Amino acid sequence: MTDGASFAEMIGAIAARSDKSAFAALFGHFAPRVKSYMLRLGAPPQLAEDLAQETLLTVWRKAGAFDPGKAAPSTWIFTIARNLRIDVARRQQRGEPAPDASDEPEPDLAPDAALLATQSEARVRSALLTLPPEQAEVVRLSFFSDRPHSEIAEALGLPLGTVKSRLRLAMGRLRDLLGDLHE
Amino acid sequence: MSNPTQHPTPEMILDLARGALAHGPQLVLRTHVGACADCAAALRLAEAVGGVLIDELAPTDMAEGALEKALAAIDAPPPSPQPPKAKQPIDWIHVPEEVLVAAERNRRWAAPGVWVAPIRRDGKSGARSYLLGIGPGIAVPRHTHRGSELICVLKGAFEDRGEIVRAGDLTDSDERVEHRPRVTMDSECVCLVAVDHALVPRDLIGRLMQPFVGI
Repeated sequence: MTDGASFAEMIGAIAARSDKSAFAALFGHFAPRVKSYMLRLGAPPQLAEDLAQETLLTVWRKAGAFDPGKAAPSTWIFTIARNLRIDVARRQQRGEPAPDASDEPEPDLAPDAALLATQSEARVRSALLTLPPEQAEVVRLSFFSDRPHSEIAEALGLPLGTVKSRLRLAMGRLRDLLGDLHE
Repeated sequence: MSNPTQHPTPEMILDLARGALAHGPQLVLRTHVGACADCAAALRLAEAVGGVLIDELAPTDMAEGALEKALAAIDAPPPSPQPPKAKQPIDWIHVPEEVLVAAERNRRWAAPGVWVAPIRRDGKSGARSYLLGIGPGIAVPRHTHRGSELICVLKGAFEDRGEIVRAGDLTDSDERVEHRPRVTMDSECVCLVAVDHALVPRDLIGRLMQPFVGI
């Protein structure tokens, strides 16, 4: 019930027939996790709650645009949450309201970028587990922070070059492990 | 179109994926990624990592009645889709709509053969993004940079220190780079540019031009 394939089916059910029970199931799994993500990034609780709501509403509205051949459900939902958060930060900075951030045009990606099918989510997960702990740590920290790498380095008490090379090694290793998902 | 040959660093792709880039660099990176299969694959991989990491987070309880609130919201009529605000020129690589709107609305001549279209400027940091169109064979006055200057070529090509920079290529110049890029003779060159500070002109023509170009 909670693997990527069934989440993909739920998103498909929303797109095909506005299936509210599928939406409720997705909401139950992802809204609390998106809220945790927003809290980790420093959002106050109310904003984290609102952004989690907005993320799942966007899932409902854009379900028809989800392509399971291009991204796992968790990947897609992560990008929606990230884009909404960027938009809120920008609005706060400029002190102005803005329309639906998730409508920001995404340039069409080249077709062979469709490297991660739904089933690949489990592979990404296990590939992450093979990273040396110090590499996994900087990857995790960088996703749960919007600060520059220099500040992540400072927080860890490491030279910037070390953080950068760990990130580079980690992403390179993931790409080596998962590269055959191309095609 | 052939694949771009000049790419962002892996850390920049990761910054794009995790949402840590300022607006201008984000526009330039997204434009490059839209034209580059390799970087698009790298971005998707990084985003998949983000998805898995979110999925592994311990959930935080939503407020009382959160699902009911969401179910009520999805019953409301969806916001009607906005018609495109600007047209994509056929001889440019694909760019975000915000860039097209700036190209149509803000474009002005800056010097003979040179037009500029400001996209956004951050008053606090001085960071800005803009489009720059330069006619065939024209050289940009010699200059260096304070901070970083990211460029993605949208159309045409320029020659910079012995290399040809083509549509889709991304260049990253900083204060260590002093150069005098020249557009190739074939066509106009249009660039999407994000700088975090103003340029530092190195010669008189550049200093005279700067107030007009506003870069």
